[in-house]
Amino acid sequence: MGIISIKNLSVSYGNIKILKNINMEINERKITAIIGPSGCGKSTLLKTINCMVEEETLSRVEGEILFKDNNIKEMTKEDIRKEIGLVFQNPTCFPFSIYKNMVYAQKYYGNTDKKKLKHMVEEKLKIAGLYDEVSNDLNKSALKLSGGQQQRLCIARALTVDPQVILLDEPCSALDVKNTKNIEEMLSKLSQDYTIIIVTHNLSQAKRIADYTAFILNGELVEYSDTETLFSNPKDKRTREYIEGIYG
Amino acid sequence: MNRYVKDLLLKLWCGISGIMVLSTLSFIIIYIFMKGFSSINLDFIIGAPKGVPIGSEGGIYPAIIGSVYLMIIACVFATVLAISTAVYLELYCKNEKLLKIMHLVIHCTAGIPSIILGMFGYTFLVLRLGLGRSLMAGGITLGIMIFPFIEIRVEKILNEMDKNIVYASYALGLPKSYTFLKLLLPIYKRDIISTVLLAGGFAIGAAAPIILTAAVMYAPVPRTVLAPVMALPYHLYILIGEGISVENAYGTAFVLIVLLLTMNILPILNSLSRGGE
Repeated sequence: MGIISIKNLSVSYGNIKILKNINMEINERKITAIIGPSGCGKSTLLKTINCMVEEETLSRVEGEILFKDNNIKEMTKEDIRKEIGLVFQNPTCFPFSIYKNMVYAQKYYGNTDKKKLKHMVEEKLKIAGLYDEVSNDLNKSALKLSGGQQQRLCIARALTVDPQVILLDEPCSALDVKNTKNIEEMLSKLSQDYTIIIVTHNLSQAKRIADYTAFILNGELVEYSDTETLFSNPKDKRTREYIEGIYG
Repeated sequence: MNRYVKDLLLKLWCGISGIMVLSTLSFIIIYIFMKGFSSINLDFIIGAPKGVPIGSEGGIYPAIIGSVYLMIIACVFATVLAISTAVYLELYCKNEKLLKIMHLVIHCTAGIPSIILGMFGYTFLVLRLGLGRSLMAGGITLGIMIFPFIEIRVEKILNEMDKNIVYASYALGLPKSYTFLKLLLPIYKRDIISTVLLAGGFAIGAAAPIILTAAVMYAPVPRTVLAPVMALPYHLYILIGEGISVENAYGTAFVLIVLLLTMNILPILNSLSRGGE
């Protein structure tokens, strides 16, 4: 039994069905990559897992998602999102200082002890591999950081609420090779403590970091297995064609 | 006609239009300043109207204060409603039909002639709710007038923001209320303040909504919100309309224009000071 079980999940916007009958088990403390061509529903799947899809008008979700055997429909959105964090494709730093970005969520949960907050900020920034670069100037505006640093700050910020699962929606698509490498190394380390689901366009990235990989095409889950099997010995013809670069 | 001539004509048209608008505007302002300046002295600013008929001598202090009070009440009333409406429509409302209906209502409110708002204020607030001709009744009526002005702008501000920032806040398990109060409000505080100041300028210059609801020919500076008040636009209307004193009317117009210009310049200063941050 995985930490997240997706059962017969279908999602539609208006009359358009984006995801069709997805069944998946996500394993705890592993990296699961979701690959597939543009517009196949990868991001929608991610957004459905932490109920972000419900913020969009006209979306309809059928089927169920269990988080630790609890149906997420029976939990509040806030509780789910606290347990299942989401990092977006483009960095979404708030236009505040680095420090304020990091303590933003903690203040809601009532942590105002400055010492504890400072310790927490340091710890999470270290995990995200950003601390050494910004430790001298935590009051600098987050928007003045480079793209890669901003994305790492967003990951560090997602960690501040101590989630169990982190969802990442193509976190490296706007970054160069060096920053991508930094983030991949960080994710591999994070997977010792957190469950990670990453949507990626980049097949070699999935191959490098993921323990499991799922291939989605036109809203259907075509194949889902451990990364090595999926890439070296795909069972489905469509998966093989995608890996060989026939689709998008 | 070749492209070069077309381009030149368009430029000419824009240039002439710009000059016409600017010159008309500056003419009005300069004319009022020149005519009104002679009536302006300290007694005019801080004195109460005197003479028979009242207003032919003395000052306009109660009208200045009355106008400022009316504006403050209108701004508070309208801002609270407008921000909550805009937040509801932008962050909470998922029902497309309801959204459309709300937008229609708000745009229609913006189109209601101000004298009709005054009539509504008179029948509903002054008579039905028994507020009487008062600061409160006039302030609320002005508030209804500037409500769509503020709501439409605040909603636009929220609509043009980067939605991903809002979703990033939700993704931390934070509710919408916290996201609005601690993230969006601090980010857009200045824009919202500028909008409210502009709306205040709109309210302070309006005569029609307060003719029936708040303004009187003479009243001291009000001590309660239920007292009737003097107001600059109404005072101006009376001075000219009843032929009481043309000089004092220009003096009043001068003060009103200065107040209005201040209300319009403040938002510019407000946004300029952002550059320094």
